[in-house]
Amino acid sequence: MRATRIVLAVLGVLVIAFGAYVMVTTVRPNRIWGLATWLVGAVILHDAILSPFVVAVGLLLRRTGRALRAWALVVVQAVVVLGTVLALVVLPEIAAKAHGQKNPTVLPFDYGVRLLVVEGVLVLVAIVVLLLGARRFGARRRRAPYTTG
Amino acid sequence: MVRRLLLDARAAMASPNRNARSAVVLGRLLGLAFVICFGTGLYSHFLQDPLPGMRFPTRPTQLYQFTQGLHITAGIAIIPLLVAKLNTVMPALAQVPPVRGVLHLLERVSIAVFVSAALVQVATGLVNTYQWYPWPFPFRQVHYALAYVLIGSLVLHIATKLPIITRYWRKRDSYDEHGRFVADPSVGSELLPPGLEERTAPAPPAAAGPVVASYPRGITGRVLRWVDGAPAAATDPLPETRHERPIAASEPREPSPDASLGGAEATRGRRERVARRGFFAGVAAATVGVVVLTAGQSNRLAEPFNVFGARQRHRGPNDLPVNRTARAAGVLATATAADWTLTVVGHDVSRTFARAELVALGTTEVDLPISCVEGWSQMASWRGVRMRDLLAAVQAPPGSHVRVTSLERHGGYRIMDMGPEYAEDPTTLVALELNGEKLDLDHGFPARIIAPGRPGVLQTKWIEKIEVIR
Repeated sequence: MRATRIVLAVLGVLVIAFGAYVMVTTVRPNRIWGLATWLVGAVILHDAILSPFVVAVGLLLRRTGRALRAWALVVVQAVVVLGTVLALVVLPEIAAKAHGQKNPTVLPFDYGVRLLVVEGVLVLVAIVVLLLGARRFGARRRRAPYTTG
Repeated sequence: MVRRLLLDARAAMASPNRNARSAVVLGRLLGLAFVICFGTGLYSHFLQDPLPGMRFPTRPTQLYQFTQGLHITAGIAIIPLLVAKLNTVMPALAQVPPVRGVLHLLERVSIAVFVSAALVQVATGLVNTYQWYPWPFPFRQVHYALAYVLIGSLVLHIATKLPIITRYWRKRDSYDEHGRFVADPSVGSELLPPGLEERTAPAPPAAAGPVVASYPRGITGRVLRWVDGAPAAATDPLPETRHERPIAASEPREPSPDASLGGAEATRGRRERVARRGFFAGVAAATVGVVVLTAGQSNRLAEPFNVFGARQRHRGPNDLPVNRTARAAGVLATATAADWTLTVVGHDVSRTFARAELVALGTTEVDLPISCVEGWSQMASWRGVRMRDLLAAVQAPPGSHVRVTSLERHGGYRIMDMGPEYAEDPTTLVALELNGEKLDLDHGFPARIIAPGRPGVLQTKWIEKIEVIR
């Protein structure tokens, strides 16, 4: 284990160093500064903005989830995750199209409308699941309060 | 003060999903995706910038369509996996103490490099497929160099985390019989929930009850109590984990004397399991969702689900999308000039061909895909003169390397070099027709190159000269 770790660590550092070497030999210094701002910006974005936001959303979901059946919470959570990731992918696409297409075959769709439709369907699915879950949960509780679920 | 803040943050981040086993599971998938992207990316890089003496396979003709489609698809799948992985390891951000020594500092720096390289690489790679470059650095060089930084960081990360990875590699070593995560403080995981550090499997009977530390004092504690709907008693260590819900109806009743104890363990385990499975179900849904809704730009099977792809197959002149138009390349006048000729230069013989003379040489029809580095691809049917026939017409020796020059005035791909494996391939054409029609101006009229297994940028359009260079 120890030997493996040392070999892997040395190999990793060497490959990183090679990447840095490729960087400084192929990218002009002023451009490397531009890249550095993006790299530092990514860490700040993740550590200081996205992470606290995710924690806050997670706490809210936890608070809301207390009133839900487990499977309903799972569906809502999946919808939130899927909806967020789709937005992460498609919002830059909308911005890119707004910035100007190089020709009509690049970014051919109306991504804003499509994103709204897909997110709308997701929200609808979540609502239906919640309603069904609430009804069945309520019925079961009235009928047999002490049996296993 | 800082310590207090970090502890509060850790308490707020505690969750059954944020443990070392989840990190290992996601890390495996993410690592695999990174390696796929690295391998296919290097292949694409060397196709465009070969080292001296490099040769490439020309069969199967759809090889590059496959590798580059995989590169983009795996890259898109990385987005949800990376978000999930970062979410899972979030408590490590709020380690107490933040730095334990020189080695620990180096490790945290290496993780910062890893995370930042991964975020920039994936984000710029995605936006590049939209042909938008809103950053102050050249994409191609940086994407290539960062790939090494990223994969090196991955290897280094595996080295630093190897004890944790092996400890939690298998599911049965990670969860006890109730489905609760087995926190093993000996492997150095930073993801042990607060207060769980001493817990080992099987649960020690005396400490089985209050396994979670009391809520922190102050505002954080009050917020967490509100979140869980817990009573406001300030000093009481709560016997239940977070994610608590009053679901009496579903709790099993066991007749054994220690029913309350074992039952509580089982209930807690079941809830943790549900939370974990829910988390992974969400990640799986997101991964499948983004892949299925975009892969239609390069995959026929996914074409009906192409909701968010950057391209639509069959949309464009000659039933094929366009990357660079004749206008953008500045060839509107030169490519449509009536006196256009193609010059073929051998070592001793030089010949020029008008378009009609090329047709008279005898044309061949081949099916070859256009596969763009940006991921979209489509099979197409081409008719044109075989490159090897043109080379024979200027008495080029076998094994000749060829240089093709386009009418384009500028751009990195105006001049394209072709090794003998492509130049002598029977399917490599100087194409004149596409999908049964005359080549569209935006697809390279009057003549373009099409060769098997090469990126679209090397399928040079609007060609004016072919030289035998060695």
